[in-house]
Amino acid sequence: MALATGGYALSSEEKRRVEPKQHLSMIYDQTKCVGCAECESACHSVNLVPAAQNRMIIQDRTDPDNVKARRFVRVSCQQCEEAPCVAVCPTAACHKDSLLDVVTMNGDDCIGCAYCIVACPYDVRFINEETNMAENCDFCLETRLKKGLQPGCVEACKYDALVFGDMNDPKSTISRILSIKDTVRQRPELGTKPSLRYVPAVKQGV
Amino acid sequence: MEMMIDFTEGFSHGHVIWGWMIGVYLVLAGMSGGALIVALVRRHYSKNKENTGLLKGAAIIGFSTIAFGMVFLVADLHRPLYFWKILINYNFTSVMSIGVAAISLYIPLTLMVFLMALEEEIKDFFQTKIKISFVHTMLTIVINILKRFRPYIEFITIFFAIVICAYTGFLISVLIRFPLLNTAVLPILFLVSGLAAGVAATRLLTAGYYRVNPSTFDEGLLHRIEWPVMFLEILLIAMLIVSLVLGNDYQKEAMAAFDVTRSQWAYLFWGGVVGVGFGVPLSLNFLFGHKVAHSSFTMYASGISTLLGVLSLRLFLLYGGQTFGIH
Ligand code: SF4
Ligand code: SF4
Repeated sequence: MALATGGYALSSEEKRRVEPKQHLSMIYDQTKCVGCAECESACHSVNLVPAAQNRMIIQDRTDPDNVKARRFVRVSCQQCEEAPCVAVCPTAACHKDSLLDVVTMNGDDCIGCAYCIVACPYDVRFINEETNMAENCDFCLETRLKKGLQPGCVEACKYDALVFGDMNDPKSTISRILSIKDTVRQRPELGTKPSLRYVPAVKQGV
Repeated sequence: MEMMIDFTEGFSHGHVIWGWMIGVYLVLAGMSGGALIVALVRRHYSKNKENTGLLKGAAIIGFSTIAFGMVFLVADLHRPLYFWKILINYNFTSVMSIGVAAISLYIPLTLMVFLMALEEEIKDFFQTKIKISFVHTMLTIVINILKRFRPYIEFITIFFAIVICAYTGFLISVLIRFPLLNTAVLPILFLVSGLAAGVAATRLLTAGYYRVNPSTFDEGLLHRIEWPVMFLEILLIAMLIVSLVLGNDYQKEAMAAFDVTRSQWAYLFWGGVVGVGFGVPLSLNFLFGHKVAHSSFTMYASGISTLLGVLSLRLFLLYGGQTFGIH
């Protein structure tokens, strides 16, 4: 950090003002997703997820009464700002990365109590059957992000249905899309402040 | 729910994640706390400062059930060999972390209460049964030191016994995905049903002992508090149900856990909690006259039914709660 601090260190509060923290997030665009599930395969090979398990899936949400309009949705960790999984973990194995603020795992400290699994209101965590450690989608934090690469699923998507980036950077692609497109979050009423944004194909309701 | 875009699949695939081992642990922890609360509060307000049968029974239950409960807690982990990580990495927003901190203090306290309450028996054991004079001398010294602080130790133990009972409720009431669990009454319900289990276990254990020593018989007390405790338990369960019935859509949906046409766990509630836990003791004590009510069969049958009822309640809440979550 080559900041001229005039002989004294910046407090973390000051630092935040100097370089606002990143808020990494992802948009899932239902209008673009065709349900090919290339993202799922990419995730498996990048993160070595056991074949029978998933960090993310594409669920088919096509209305049985209207099969012509195919609808899909991404199921994965919502990267909550107020993450219950982080709050309940007794060993802090499930934590936010100090650098990139992404909810991730320090597997060595995980005792496999599954408290985080039941605490996650989206049911998107699991105990890896090979390592016996809890796991969630952390945007490929160690496997790609820290090497300067985009998450595996984002790169694998041929239809640009997934956009990843820093929502705190007004010039990022994700910020630009968010400034013009209507997006929703999953069950924000639960108080979890989910980061993921979803572009719905149609608005329905009463 | 009416959302423009949502998902209904999850990675637990409808499986119950926290199962019977956690349920048994919750019962054992509640039983330990409940037994000690009753016996130590009784001792505090009683002029009789001898080691009564009630105290001895409760001290045995208090120490052994929490120690045994830890076995289940650790056995339920996917990485049990790394259990020690929980002791060196604290996270004070985690009820489990706070609980482990409380248990680390509570278990030694129950051991101290145990040593003081069964002083004669323990000394006798090492003097006549297996003669190890070294252990006998050591224990005598330790117990004598402990006895100097006895009122304080017992007071702190009461406090931690309440904390342990309540924490087992908070442990699962923070799970916002499960409306049946995510309620304010759960910690107090677990405290009260812990008392019920503690009283029942103490009675069962000390029944034989009391036959011999009717003078120190605190059975009257155990019998008297049994019914108010059960009444409170029923009241709290009713409150839980009312809050779900009158609640939002998620909460109304969670009511399915009580519906025998929709949930197999409903049998556990109506049969186990209501039928066995409340029905059997109530009918044996009030329906068949004085003779049946005061028989030793009724004493044992009510005690065992109460314990089964408390176990059913914990298992019903865990399984029913996790089956009918928000999705
Ligand atoms: S979605 Fe679940 S796993 Fe992801 S941060 Fe939120 S609570 Fe944790
Ligand atoms: S399973 Fe692992 S990550 Fe999850 S709460 Fe337990 S120790 Fe933490």
